[in-house]
Amino acid sequence: MDLEERLDLACRGTVEVIQRPELRELLSTKQKPRAYWGFECSGKRETARPD
Amino acid sequence: MMHIGQGLVCGEKIRDMVDAGFEFTIFLADWHSMINDKYGGDMAKIKVTGEYFKHCFTALGLTEDKVQYVWASDLAGLPEYWEKVLRVGRSTTTRRLMRALPILGREINQKEAEAATLFYPCMQAADIFQMKLDVACAGIDQRKAHILAREVGEKLGWGKPVSLHTPLVMGLAGIESGEKGSFDEDPKLSQVIGAKMSKSRPESNILIHDGPTEIFQKIKGAYCPPRETKGNPLLDYFRVLVFHGPGRFLLKRDQKYGGDLELESYEQLESLYSSGKVHPQDLKSNMVQFLTDRLQDVRKYFATRPDLLDKMRKLGAG
Repeated sequence: MDLEERLDLACRGTVEVIQRPELRELLSTKQKPRAYWGFECSGKRETARPD
Repeated sequence: MMHIGQGLVCGEKIRDMVDAGFEFTIFLADWHSMINDKYGGDMAKIKVTGEYFKHCFTALGLTEDKVQYVWASDLAGLPEYWEKVLRVGRSTTTRRLMRALPILGREINQKEAEAATLFYPCMQAADIFQMKLDVACAGIDQRKAHILAREVGEKLGWGKPVSLHTPLVMGLAGIESGEKGSFDEDPKLSQVIGAKMSKSRPESNILIHDGPTEIFQKIKGAYCPPRETKGNPLLDYFRVLVFHGPGRFLLKRDQKYGGDLELESYEQLESLYSSGKVHPQDLKSNMVQFLTDRLQDVRKYFATRPDLLDKMRKLGAG
């Protein structure tokens, strides 16, 4: 996969990338860039708080 | 429990990132969940749920050879992590942090909040720097945390993490039935956040381990007025789930309604729907089939490990 293909794959289906040129720069300079997604560990919808 | 917004939208994006050559971490934010009053702040129950999430992502194909799993409690044991949390806090203001509270699902204009909630955005920014991440991915409702991380990262010389935001999957009741609160300065985004699946009634969420009957029942009751393209959850699922990547979709239809339709893009489907050429029933029956097929492996995974869902039900999860 070339740089543009990797960039398109990372960006597809997103509503916003801040910023795409930075992502291109990252993919072109770093061998294995590091990404993450964080998840709260919640099992159900919480009930509304009194506040 | 995990709904298709988390399982399919996040799952697909994480897979894209792995395929694009990223080293990917799925971060199980147990401490953040405690702050945000999940299970009344009961850490033991939060951990059980984190383990369940790990199983969900594994069942979706994100196995430990493809991604790594890190718990917030792994970072919480490190003094240098807490130093970063405080340095982030030194670089911003309580007013900014209050405005960031929608990342916890709270409204934007609150005058008062539990003090611990103000740590949450600081921790979320510190997580990124502690794990030396280049890119932070999340649903669009998390953008305030990422903007904060970029601003303080630049101020502190820690670098600006790229942020990548995915759409929020609408609840089955549609956008008009979402929570009416204010979750962003932008009224349109506020409405999208208020209508996201995890904010909607639990019984109307499609869960990743739902069987064909449950999927059918839930989709059957979904809001889907003919020709209406705005705030229509069924069309939203086609846009976000079916047309996530390139490729065509064969919309199955009875011969008497015109027979099967090969769709090339979401836009084509939307235009056919708004002109009445595609009927709500066509969207529903095809979505039931799509989800039933797409979630087949997850169902199998959980069917062979019944204790996982039993444990979650004992926690009162739904």
